[in-house]
Amino acid sequence: MATTTATITLSSADLLSDNLSLSSTMNLYKDGTTATGLEQLNYHRAILAEDGDFDLIAESALLSDKANYVYICNKNTDVSHYCIISINSKVIGRLYAGDWLFMPWDCDETGATADSSVEIIPKEADATVEYALFHSGETLPTSSD
Amino acid sequence: MATTTATLTLSSADIADNNISISNTMTFYTAGTNTGITETTGLARKKTVTGTNTTLLATGSGIAADVTADRSAKVYIKNINDRGDGRKFVTILLQTVEIGRLYGGDWMLIPWSGGSSNDIEFTASDTTETTLEYTCFYE
Repeated sequence: MATTTATITLSSADLLSDNLSLSSTMNLYKDGTTATGLEQLNYHRAILAEDGDFDLIAESALLSDKANYVYICNKNTDVSHYCIISINSKVIGRLYAGDWLFMPWDCDETGATADSSVEIIPKEADATVEYALFHSGETLPTSSD
Repeated sequence: MATTTATLTLSSADIADNNISISNTMTFYTAGTNTGITETTGLARKKTVTGTNTTLLATGSGIAADVTADRSAKVYIKNINDRGDGRKFVTILLQTVEIGRLYGGDWMLIPWSGGSSNDIEFTASDTTETTLEYTCFYE
């Protein structure tokens, strides 16, 4: 097993009348375990065409109903550039330039009408995106030759 | 305007042959600007003892009424329960569409497009008391 941690720190000195400071650390464990870490990782950097509708992280049988965690960061710098992130045509939100997200992902292969792939549409310009999937295992395509 | 930042650090010394360390800080801006977000729900806590869907943030009502699809909003959610036997989790949904499972101790931070039919909901995997902490930053 591996030990992988994800730490978030939220802070502001002037959003409220007092300082905001919140910090949390989690271990990335496998489903059905209390202390066994995820052992597999996909980490990518891609330049995606404006207005393309892409499966950024595709479904896979071995990913289904497991503990998986997704990180996506929009590396563009123009503040007007953003990427629409969605699952099964349901928009989660917009990642503007410099924004990141970190979320669990429940790959759910219940049929073509319930595509749970993590999708992305770059808007206003091509988007440079870094993304990672920490997972329990994935089904690779079988070689045809 | 206000300056609110979120810093993520993902690290592992043994998931690969070399150390993995991903770190990023973002500032919460209003949509398409360099102007800081100035509104928040504050940190809140919600409990449930049912295994059915519970609405965490409802679009179009209350403090989330200002969160629409073309505005900027960020949502932080943490499951403060323990992991139980490792199969105790909360499923986070956008209405009927599953995003993922927050096991005990897990957190998430996502952008949120409000608008109609985009409530953030959760379903606990069992009927023991489950508690979530959450906050939304929005314009």
